[in-house]
Amino acid sequence: MISRTTRLALLTAGLLSFAVVNAGRAQAQEPGDLSVTFSGLTAPTGALYVGVYDSEAAFGGGKPVAGERVAVNGATASLTLSGLKPGRYAIKVFHDIDGDGRMNTNPYGIPLEPYAASNNAPANMGPPRWSDAVFDVTAEGAVQDITIQ
Amino acid sequence: MDRRALITAFAALPAAAILTPEAAFAASARANPAWAPAVGDVETDIAPRALRRIHGRAPKGLAGTLFRNGPAKFRRPGGDAGHWFDGDGLVRAFRIRDGKASLAGRFVDTFKRRQDTKAGAMVSAGFAQVPRPDAVVRHADDANAANTALLPIGGELLALWEQGSPYAIDPVTLQTKGLKTFRPDLAHMPFLAHPRIEPDGRVWNLGVAGRKALVWTLSPDGSLAGTAMIDLPRAAYIHDFTATQRHLVIALQPWIQDRRAQPFVASMSWRPEQGTQVLVIDKDDLTKRRIFELPAFFAFHFGDAWEEADGTIRFDACVNAEPTFAARGGSELIAYKSPTDHQDTRLALITLRPGGKAELQSTGLTAEFPRSDPRFAGKARSKSVINTVGGGADLPFLRGVAVSDWRTGKADVFDFGPDHCVEEMLFVARPGSTRELDGWLVGTSLNLKARATELHVFDAKAVSAGPVCSWRADVPLPVGFHGAWMG
Repeated sequence: MISRTTRLALLTAGLLSFAVVNAGRAQAQEPGDLSVTFSGLTAPTGALYVGVYDSEAAFGGGKPVAGERVAVNGATASLTLSGLKPGRYAIKVFHDIDGDGRMNTNPYGIPLEPYAASNNAPANMGPPRWSDAVFDVTAEGAVQDITIQ
Repeated sequence: MDRRALITAFAALPAAAILTPEAAFAASARANPAWAPAVGDVETDIAPRALRRIHGRAPKGLAGTLFRNGPAKFRRPGGDAGHWFDGDGLVRAFRIRDGKASLAGRFVDTFKRRQDTKAGAMVSAGFAQVPRPDAVVRHADDANAANTALLPIGGELLALWEQGSPYAIDPVTLQTKGLKTFRPDLAHMPFLAHPRIEPDGRVWNLGVAGRKALVWTLSPDGSLAGTAMIDLPRAAYIHDFTATQRHLVIALQPWIQDRRAQPFVASMSWRPEQGTQVLVIDKDDLTKRRIFELPAFFAFHFGDAWEEADGTIRFDACVNAEPTFAARGGSELIAYKSPTDHQDTRLALITLRPGGKAELQSTGLTAEFPRSDPRFAGKARSKSVINTVGGGADLPFLRGVAVSDWRTGKADVFDFGPDHCVEEMLFVARPGSTRELDGWLVGTSLNLKARATELHVFDAKAVSAGPVCSWRADVPLPVGFHGAWMG
């Protein structure tokens, strides 16, 4: 179970590593837009930190191609990203409930704020896997409904 | 085929291929051993009920509750637990008052138990349990069976495990209140099942992960007094540690986590060539530390340590040559098999000399579940309460209790006989007395013949005379681990 701790610590590192990049927000779903809704938010405070990745390596701890901070005011939130090239992507998100700009962890690196990934990929015994989280963004765009656990 | 060739061929066959009727009978007996109720399944909570007095009378002045914890649900239709340590914790309350005794039991309402119940199978991660792919394992508390020990503190009963946080229990109703988080940023931190409690109620404990340990200190009222992270020289398996008034004493046996693997037990390697280290840390300054070296041994449990005027530290340990029970025996028990390569655990005295030398003297006395007079925790003492008398190949549990005296070298033993699996016995002081071990031993046994759990009281000064009072329940509860007395 120590190895699980280690892997969860890696997960945390991965979640923290993306920079918040301004990817340009669109107000409505347009062709090519990635439209994401978040549900299951446990507190109407703070913000979601959302990272979009275009490779397994980046998803595992590298830089996102897009990053967004989405203010949380209720049990749901949404985000639309435009300008993504058609291709394969995956999303990681955590809810910064206390608004301190980082994901809280315990001293062994276990995440103490809710997090999730695209396709609601499970985070068992470690971070969500790229193979579970990956989805296609086509010329028409893509839609993701993510439940924050 | 000539005769020699035939014999050679037989020798190469697995035993099952040449079963005689006698061997087949023996095999079927092994499949359903007499001790099966010791690792049996309890299906529901145990409603409060009176116990029937079967022997003697309760001593005047003895009133309180023996709380006990231990795994009591191992098997579900879709799959069984992988190890004795992976069953769901059942908290039992044996209440003694006005010469009468009663029993109630309630499972700790853990995330793990809910997940396994819903799945109809033991799917959660465990000591020797690979989680089913659909099982949720976000952190160690999703595998927390809350099945090992109990700490009464701050008006609550904390059900302890090893790699996760305590579960808080209402001591009156035994209802689960939820995971105990001492401070928000310490959620899901490990808290060993063997906290060391100073006579004034201050609690020391460890939360171990690999080569790190969080040192917990709780005030007597149960509030968090402090935490500090320490480095360990190796990623040893740590189930228990001990303490003197001034020092924490942490044995680092060479069962070492050296790879990432599931389940937990598969991540450990036995490296006897590395010996056993004992780390001694100053309670007032955790950076002040010494390391002592001993030949390799394995132990789950240690007795309270004490320190002599010249700085010599002594404590008892229940030692094995190897971690065979942890690695395999506990899994075999759940399959109703007597552990192969079983070795009785022996009582030993470990001495750490101020000059840096360490010694381990074994008594040869079979021993597990060491306890002592809690008023002497960390101070000079001579008496240890243990379970003793190995049941041999037919009974992979202990069947006796003893008080062993380090001053005289003698043990005062009572053997319940082959029908009993004896559980941990606690010392309860006689009201008004201050002498070491002046009082009673209170503990339980599973009577296999009567198919019932029994509660016993001994005069701690006359153990070999047998219980002064025994009560019998109308149910057999599986053998548990550790308990606590609340007067």
